Amino acid sequence: MAGISMNGLSKVYPGGVVAVDRLDLQVEDGEFFALLGPSGCGKTTLLRTIAGLEQSSAGSLSIGGRVVTDLPPGDRNVAMVFQDYALFPHMTVADNIAYPLRIQKVGRTERRGSAEETANGLSLAGLLERRPAELSGGQQQRVALARAIVSRPSVFLFDEPLSNLDARLRLEARTFLKRLQKELGVTTVFVTHDQAEALALADRMAIMEHGRIRQIGSPREVFARPANTFVANFIGSTPMNLLDATVADGSLHLACGTIPVPADVRSLVHEGDTLVVGIRPEYLTMTPGEHDDGLRGTVSVVENLGTYALVTLENEAQTFGVVTGEADEPALGARCSAVPQPGRVLLYGAEDGELITAERTEQQEPAEAAS
Amino acid sequence: MRRANALGLAMIALPMLVITVFIGLPIVLAVAFSLGHTGGPNSNLSAIAQHEHKSNGGLGTTAAYHEVLSDHQNIRDLIVTIVVTLISVIAVLVASWAVALYLRLSGSRLAKTFAALSVVPLFIPVVIASYAIRQFYNGDGFFRGLAHHAGWSNPPILSSTTAGITLGEIWVSIPFAVLMISSGLAAVPDALIEAARDAGASLARTVRTILVPMCAIPTVIAVTFTAIGILGSFTVPYLTGPASPNMLGVTMQHYFSAFAEPQQAEVLAVVVFVIASLAAVWYVRANATAARRSGATS
Ligand SMILES: Nc1ncnc2c1ncn2[C@@H]1O[C@H](COP(=O)(O)OP(=O)(O)OP(=O)(O)O)[C@@H](O)[C@H]1O
Ligand SMILES: [Mg+2]
Repeated sequence: MAGISMNGLSKVYPGGVVAVDRLDLQVEDGEFFALLGPSGCGKTTLLRTIAGLEQSSAGSLSIGGRVVTDLPPGDRNVAMVFQDYALFPHMTVADNIAYPLRIQKVGRTERRGSAEETANGLSLAGLLERRPAELSGGQQQRVALARAIVSRPSVFLFDEPLSNLDARLRLEARTFLKRLQKELGVTTVFVTHDQAEALALADRMAIMEHGRIRQIGSPREVFARPANTFVANFIGSTPMNLLDATVADGSLHLACGTIPVPADVRSLVHEGDTLVVGIRPEYLTMTPGEHDDGLRGTVSVVENLGTYALVTLENEAQTFGVVTGEADEPALGARCSAVPQPGRVLLYGAEDGELITAERTEQQEPAEAAS
Repeated sequence: MRRANALGLAMIALPMLVITVFIGLPIVLAVAFSLGHTGGPNSNLSAIAQHEHKSNGGLGTTAAYHEVLSDHQNIRDLIVTIVVTLISVIAVLVASWAVALYLRLSGSRLAKTFAALSVVPLFIPVVIASYAIRQFYNGDGFFRGLAHHAGWSNPPILSSTTAGITLGEIWVSIPFAVLMISSGLAAVPDALIEAARDAGASLARTVRTILVPMCAIPTVIAVTFTAIGILGSFTVPYLTGPASPNMLGVTMQHYFSAFAEPQQAEVLAVVVFVIASLAAVWYVRANATAARRSGATS
């Protein structure tokens, strides 16, 4: 088993697109690591560079302490699962699964045995003689997994392996994948643009933008304390409220109300500073009527999301969301207030969009400060 | 159900009729003529025949076959035809796979442009190309001039030899094969090639285990049509080959116009047709196996 270590890793495509920009990143041994970011931010490129399918332009990459920067894919002991599975249409399921072993010149009976064993573990037992075209999407995905598992690689690389499945199967496959990864204990890098998937699966995750990493941390850290407004915007099933505010009389003055400066950063803000207040809709408690210590507005939209509702409150200058229980939905046009839960208000610099925080967390990489 | 069947039959009726009248009937007439049935629709042709074998009814007579096939010259021509076809098909297969692979796998645009030049012969009429090839390999042609400069004191004159025919056939046949195989290769997704590389396969193994089996159908098509095209070719052997022995296309033409013996020409035509049919049978069988192996579902 092996961790992955990248130092100043870059990938510039011919034509000058910088898809991966001087990345420093450590993935620990046995970790389930998610790469998350908007379309075109370089996730796939980074994964392919780790696999060796793209040659890096600068920097170094090691897997399990061995420098592999210039090794071909086959010598890196990694196994990739492609987005559309890349099963060989002219081979049976058994031959697909056994393909890496065939390349490693494992004998026919032995590789047949390994393929069967792996297939059994993934509930593919009855399908060994079928062709990929005769399988459902979920079965194809498991065959692709089996082909990755069979050669006992030290790293799994997944490029959005669940994105071709329907919503329900996706949830099942997600749970299955997490259990499988824990059982095998293989270091895994998982690319997704679905933040819910990353939050659910990952031990740690990195959020990328324009080929750089904007934050690394556990899903809990990233969700609760996004390191900058980019991450804050990106993470969460309902987007975080990001509201302009000014510091005056020791309080935060917003267009929609006044709230106290959070205690932990009181020493870091000054009278007259303009800031961005970040607060998740889930962390606002709504009460009918107007209150002095909350954010006030008129209900303009109520979106029912099953067990809860997302209520949009509007003020002359600001709009923000609040999540309420299904029983507490307000009427359209009602005047309401929302009070932040203690310890849930985050402050970001108005200029740089970075989180204002007392502790210098490890999330702030030197590379990031430079950008 | 029944109405759908009737509609289907109606839709194929017209093409079937066209095939019957313009292909089926002439074949039947030609075979009949070669067996000595010189009357009826064959009487026109029979009128110009210098010397022919007439049947006395029944299934006919094989006398014309005896005459044609006991002539050593014709047997040599038959052998030349088969050998030139086999060698050309193998050379075309190897060359077109090499070019198509290069086109598929090479990243550089210059390389692609260069490889794409291999389809240029498709746009040059065969008559012109054959004449050019004959000039190229002539006694005072470009090939010998070049070889002389390179220090080869007595390079062979390839014009008017069976080697010349073979070179001509290869030159003329490569574009179609390249187009067939490169379109087959283009249909193989990059992800499959990458999955093989990721599993540790070298380029040669990727070609052998993924690309060749996945392109079996276009390869079979290219081989069959190249083979049948060369078997029945006339222009290339006529212009680049020797007077004798030459391929059967040329021999047939001699029988027909120089000797005015259409019956003997048609005997040769039937022989070539039988060989081509063997290729067609192979095509159908290989295609079925290839379809099964390449994962196309029925
Ligand atoms: N082969 C290539 N040649 C040139 N530029 C490329 C190539 N592949 C990707 N790019 C560019 O590199 C950048 C990163 O692409 P990449 O595919 O890594 O994004 P991604 O994060 O995986 O996006 P998505 O979520 O849409 O899959 C994009 O700007 C893309 O246009
Ligand atoms: Mg991608």
